Formats: sequence, structure tokens, C-alpha cells
Amino acid sequence: MSNKMPCSPPENPQEIKVLRQLTKRSLDAKKLVYCDECGACTGSCPVAGILPTHFNPRVFLNKLSLEFANVLTDAGLWLCMMCYRCHKRCPHGLKPPEIFLLLRNMVIERGYLADAPAKLEEILEILRERIPLPLVYIWLCLRPCEEISKRSKFDSLVLDVLQRTLANSKKREVAPLPKTQKEKTAVIGSGPAGLTAAWELVKRGFPVTVFEALAEPGGMLRVGIPEHRLPKEVLDAEVAHIKELGVEIRTNTPIGKALSFNDLLEEEGYKAVFIATGAHKSRRLRIEGENMKGVVHALSLLRRANLQKQPRLGGKVGVVGGGDSAMDVAQTALRLGAQEVNILYRRSREEMPANPLEVKEAEGNGIKFHFLLAPKKILGKDKQVVGVECTQMKLGQPDESGRRRPIPIDDSSFIIELDTAIVAIGESSDISFLPKEVKATEWNTIAADPLTLETSMPGVFAGGDVVSGPASVVEAIAAGKRAAVSIQRYLKGGEAQSS
Amino acid sequence: MKEKTSILVIGGGVAGIQASLDLADRGLRVYLVEETPSIGGRMAQLDKTFPTLDCSICILAPKMIECYRHPNITLLTYSEVENVSGSAGSFTVRIVRKPRFVDEAKCTGCGTCTQKCPAIVPNEFEMLLGDRKAIYMPLPQAVPRITTIDKDNCLYFTRGVCKICQKLCQAEAVDFDQAPEKITLNVAAIIVSTGFNLLDPSAIQEYGYGRYKNVVTSLELERLANASGPTGGHVTRPSDGNIPDNVAFIQCVGSRSLGRGVPYCSSACCMYATKEAILIKEHKPKSEVFVFHLDLRASGKGFQDFINRAKENWGVQYIRGRPGEILEDPRTKDLVIQFEHTVGREVRKLRVNMVVLCPAFIPQESNKNLSKKLGVKLDEYGFFEAKDPPIAPVDTNVPGIFTCGCCQGPKDIPESVTQASGAAARAIEVITITAHRRAQ
Repeated sequence: MSNKMPCSPPENPQEIKVLRQLTKRSLDAKKLVYCDECGACTGSCPVAGILPTHFNPRVFLNKLSLEFANVLTDAGLWLCMMCYRCHKRCPHGLKPPEIFLLLRNMVIERGYLADAPAKLEEILEILRERIPLPLVYIWLCLRPCEEISKRSKFDSLVLDVLQRTLANSKKREVAPLPKTQKEKTAVIGSGPAGLTAAWELVKRGFPVTVFEALAEPGGMLRVGIPEHRLPKEVLDAEVAHIKELGVEIRTNTPIGKALSFNDLLEEEGYKAVFIATGAHKSRRLRIEGENMKGVVHALSLLRRANLQKQPRLGGKVGVVGGGDSAMDVAQTALRLGAQEVNILYRRSREEMPANPLEVKEAEGNGIKFHFLLAPKKILGKDKQVVGVECTQMKLGQPDESGRRRPIPIDDSSFIIELDTAIVAIGESSDISFLPKEVKATEWNTIAADPLTLETSMPGVFAGGDVVSGPASVVEAIAAGKRAAVSIQRYLKGGEAQSS
Repeated sequence: MKEKTSILVIGGGVAGIQASLDLADRGLRVYLVEETPSIGGRMAQLDKTFPTLDCSICILAPKMIECYRHPNITLLTYSEVENVSGSAGSFTVRIVRKPRFVDEAKCTGCGTCTQKCPAIVPNEFEMLLGDRKAIYMPLPQAVPRITTIDKDNCLYFTRGVCKICQKLCQAEAVDFDQAPEKITLNVAAIIVSTGFNLLDPSAIQEYGYGRYKNVVTSLELERLANASGPTGGHVTRPSDGNIPDNVAFIQCVGSRSLGRGVPYCSSACCMYATKEAILIKEHKPKSEVFVFHLDLRASGKGFQDFINRAKENWGVQYIRGRPGEILEDPRTKDLVIQFEHTVGREVRKLRVNMVVLCPAFIPQESNKNLSKKLGVKLDEYGFFEAKDPPIAPVDTNVPGIFTCGCCQGPKDIPESVTQASGAAARAIEVITITAHRRAQ
């Protein structure tokens, strides 16, 4: 498929020049000589897990030295989700995402792809075959800048193609798939994991119903990812297609209220259940003053901002945390009118779990970072936040997460004045609606087999954030695909054999 | 004149033992200093050796006993080097004998005290997989066969009660008032053989060591496979004591890593993993064993043949690829390894009952201190530096001080023993030259 692509790879002398330039510009490309091709990058890559024939970071990096010209037209270049997991796993600390980013820009800016839009179409086609959310995927993956003034040539081109595809996609009519099987499956949660599982099952001819607690489907894609990263109309278009294919989505139907978990199996006649309820509870700081007015938790703010109830944020905002949701909420706060946004993180920049690209973008937007400090107490006046008392930290020995543990420095408290404090220190799952037969782990996630996603209750499967803890969209999609395979095997073969 | 022909060996592992025996057999006086209560070192912890699959302690124990019995060797176990001065031909060394609270001259090693001691402590020799008592002998073949009281865990020392060992000891060897003893030696040469440590693999967090019970290190597996080990020689998994049907080894955990871990190759892992894979097959022929590796480095004599035999005769499966992630099945405690088979370009998941990590060899923490006392240079990683790696591999920057074994870089047993004999020969040269000079 890919060799038919219209492209004009660079001629030899120029190719060398480009390679040199790449080497100069990117420290990682220099470090590439140390690569042992151990495969830790591909082995940990969530994208390689769902698109193994199209994306393999190890092979891609290897091609850089052997067939540089082909690399520029390789579809794989456009599929990296920039999750940086390969970087975390690479024994030499290479940063494949930054190499990809550099090459993407180079390809567009130097015009190596004569027909870039056609290339993007081709990639969308690859995605369409394998996942139910191709546009969502590519939007999150290529991260086109939404601010016109800051757009690069790359951003404009990508946005142009994506918007055109979105418009076409809305027009496109999809015929429902035939239901060839009788056994019904219930999917709890309409996030990326749930939608993917439903889509895969419907493609296999099984009837599926998705239960969603909120008024609109999409899960975290709807309420967790801010509009500036993923326009909601993209999600709407893709959900519409999934519905057209024959997936029934019942919104405003939380399981455990009017309809209990056991009702699904006993009364409603579902033969299998896939639990994909995600991690929608913000973790709390558990310090004094957390219940005051002006203290918000990341997910509730993101949810309100996403559901068009634009809350207003004034003055000086402090975001506690260093993960992706801290970055998202900080960016959202800026867009909601905050004059100054400060991120407070208890370790140093190196230990920050947030995606480095998000951090860079946040800094570019004027968000200030304060490292090595932990909030001790939220201060208020008439029950309204006026600041936080922080303790200066230093780094000790690595803890079980492999990151250096922050240790408070004695008598180092000081006060940061704030009008709003946003707590973004992680998310957890609410699994209180489940029966005892579905066992939980000590971290309040569902105990499920990592291969088959079976839980301790026969016929009940679980995947996505509710099993793994907060993770990426691609991982949720991968879990959805895996669940569908297991559920099909369970319904047809009696057990969910491992692959 | 006797003290002029003395030599100090620091570290009683196989290298130190070999160097001591070589020197003592040549009629020299050897002081063998060992930090722990018994000599034996890492080799004593191993179950079998490669490439011949000999029982490790069966080869080592006779040498350990010979060290003990040799008229020319003085064993200074549970002792540390405090201070070194002087130069080649005449070093003055001060040694601290830590109190074992058991009189070495009186203890018969009968073991009554260890049986009755009420304080149970995880056993370091068993890689914390088994228990010992507060008064203990680290291994059954301990040399010297003398018990030692671990002051940090002894009920008398921590709470002021008990003393049951003292009451029961017929030889009246237990002495709670023993104090550290300092002795000064005059030696002509010093051989350093302090060995190595393993990197703590919990630093490579995606492999889950410390979080997942059934992820163990290679040294832990040696103890599990050993008949005198905590499981009596049954290779069982820590979570439930079941014998695993399939086991995966992961190579280069922290080795060959510029970013995290150490950049060098730990040199022995490809071979010992192969050996341990065969051990698992020997224990349970129907089990499946996988070895995840980067490059199989079988550079010693008979090594490639050993790997070939593992493949052909034992059916050990070698997979080229460093796993990207290990997940635990919370219900069964099985492990799912996510990896790329880099030869077949396949991204796969593999379920196994147990995972064995082969962590990088790292220098002993104590090398830093010792190197200062000796004035010997360490390399950038903390191993002792050779004066000239190609032509003077066991010499150091200080004349009269030599190194052998893993304290100067990762290596296997045959190489350690070879170096030990080399270091002994070099040390003898120092003595001959000084004697020669004196005669002039």
C-alpha cells in the first residue's frame, strides 16, 4: 500500500545534508549509534501493540541509518502518539518521539511529501480499519495547534486535512453491520476502551449495548481531555459512526443506581460484561483547607469546562501536581481567564510524569513551574482560598516507582498567595458498584488478567484505566480490542484462552 | 624475618581463597581478611557452575577448609581493614576484628545456640528468602565453623533479656562483653579481592521487582535451586510455593544501559542464565524456559557449546529482545511479559509463572572507602582500576597492591581464579625483589 504513495524522497546529496542537519539538531540522533536494537521501545509501545505492521519504533530508528529516504515517506512516522514510554524504557534514554517530531516537521517544511494530504488520508485509512476512533487518534497524535497565531506550516496543513476529513466524515453514511450472533454483551463505560470493545464486537456480529453514566458518550475523551486538544465535534462524529454501525449507547444510565450490575446478567440477559469505567475520581491532597471555596479538583474543573458550563477563573491560579492532567488543567485555566497559572510540583523537573511536549507547550504559554515544594495547608479567609502554605522539599533515594523520593526540609515553610488552587495529583476509580465476585486489587483497581482481561467473575471482563490506573488513550483502545477477542472466545468457546 | 614474608588478602571469596592458597603453598604467611563471619563469598551462594554444571559449594568447600587448616594462613573473618600505611615490601595494616560475642577458640560449632535462639532474622546468605537466628552460622559449610551474634537483632542487645545461648553453650563460648580488637600486621604485599554486588533491579521499575512477588533475581534463584537453600532445592515461586511450569530470564537488567544502570556488559549473565535455565529444566524437564537476551556473549572456552547444548538437549528457548513491560495477573500472580521478538519483528505477550532478572554486576559500596585507605584508584564505575589493563591487569597504581576477581570488573569464576593465581604470582615477585634488594 505504502509504495504507491505520491512522494519525492530527497536525492542523495541532499539526503546526506538532511541527515547531518538532523544529527546536529537532535541530540538523540547522535546517541542513536549506541542503540543495540534491544526492542524495549517497540516492546513497550502501545501503538505497536495495536498497529504492529505499520509502526515499529525500533525498525524505524534502524531505517534512519540504512534507508533514510524511505523513512520520510513511511506511514509509521505519523503514527507515534508521543507518549514517551519508549524513552522511559530505553536503556540509553533515546527519545524516539522527538526524532519523529523533527522528521515530521522536516518532511512538511522541506516538501519531501509531494502530496501530504494524501499521505494523511492513507494513514487515516489504516486507522479506520483497526480502531473506531481514527480521527480522535490522529488529532491527539499530530496535536495541531489551535491558536492561529502560533500555527506552523505543519499545523496548518494537518488542520486543513483533518477538518476536511471531519466534514467528509460527517457526510459519510455508514450502513449497520449485520447481527449474526445472538449473545448480547454489555459494555459499562463509553470511553475509548468501551467504544473500541463495542465496535470490535459489532464487527464480529455480536449485539452490544454500551452503558454510560453521563449525558453524553466518550468518557475521558469527552470530560477529561480539554477542547483545545480535542475538539468535541471530532468525538461526536466518530461516536455517531459507531452508533450507525449498530452499537447501542444508553446514556444517563449509571450501573449501580436504577440498574444494578447483577441486573445486567440476570434480568437483561447479557451473556458477557466488559467493565471500562475508567478512573474518574480525583485524588485528594488530604490536607487542611481542601474543602474551602476556591479549591477545585482537576477532573471536576475539566468536566465543567468540557460540558460547556464555562466556569470563570480569575486572578492567580496554582495547580498542584506534575502529571498530564496538571498540564491540561493549567492550560484550561489559562483559557478560562486566569491571569497567572503556577504549577507546584513536589519533585524536580526530571521526575515529572507529564509528557515533555505538554510541559514545553505549557511553558510556551507562560505557565510558571515551581519545583520541589509540597502544599502543607490551604489558607483561607472567610472560607475562601487566599493561598497555600508550602514546604520546600529535597530529593532522597529512589522509591518503588524508581523516582527519587521527595523529603521535606525542616522549617522551610512559606506561603504562596493564590485565588484558586487546583488539585491535580492523580485519578482513581470508583468500583463500588461492582459485586463482590469481581475482585479488586489493593490499589482499588479491578483485578484482571493482563492478557485476557478476565476478572474473577466468569463472563466479566475489565480493561482500560479501571484496571491499569490512569493511562493513555491508545492503551485504552488496545484494552478494548483485547477484550473483544476474549469476549468472542468466551461466548463461542466457553473460555477466554490466552493468545 | 617472618613478618617480612607476610601477605594480606582482603576478601574471602573464591579469588581471595585461591590467591591465599597459592601464596601459602609457596611458604608465605597469608592473612585473609573477610568482612562477613565466613569465607566463601558469592561462589558459596551459587548452586552450580558453568559450563560443567559442577556443584559450586562442592568445589569451593574443600578450598575453604584448606584455607582454614593451612598452617600458613591466618583467617581473620568478621574483620575489616582500618588503616594502611607503608609501601611495597613493608605495609603496616591495622585490622579491626569486630566482636562476634562468641569466643573463636572455644566455639565448637555444635549449633545448639542457633537452634534455641528465639530471634528470627531474614538470612542475607539466602538473599533474604530464608531465615536465620540472631546467633547464626551464615551457611552450613561456614568456615570457620563458629557462630556469630548479630548485635542488631539479638534480644539481649536490643531489649536486655534472653542470654539463652550463653546458658546453653557447653563450651562457654558466648561472651556478651567482647570488644572490638585491633591488630597490626606488617605485610609485604596486599591483594584486594572484595568481589561484586548486584544492582537493585527495582530501579528498572517496568520489570516490577519488589512489586511482583514472582519476579526474582538470578542470585535468589541460585538459592531456590540449591538443596541446602530455603526451599530445600525445589525451585518454587515465592507467591504460592508452586513449582513453575514456565520461567523467563531477562538479561541485561541495568547492564549495557547508558541512561539508567551501567553502560558496561556484566559478562557472566549470558552464561549463568543458561546454566540456571538448564537447572530449571533438570528440576522439571517439562517446564518451558525462555531467555530474553540482546547478544548472547559466550566468549569463554566451551561456552558456545554450552549454549548450543541448552538449546538442543534441553530445549531452552532464546528470544532476542529486551522486554518493554511486565504486568502481573493479580489473581494468579502469573506474569505477562510484553516484548518485541526483534528477529521476527513480532510484538508479543507471553505469560509465565516466574521471571528471573539478571541484574548488572556493580562494585561493592565499600570499595570507595577501601580505595582511599589503600591509595588505589577506582575507575569511573567504582571498580578497582588496573595499572595497565592489557599487560598488567592485576597490578594497581600502588606498587605492591594487586587486585583480582570481580572487584576490578565483572567476570566469571574461571577468570577470577586465573586472576587470583596471577595476583599471587605478582605478589611473590614483590617479595623476591625486596629480599633480593636486601641481600645487595
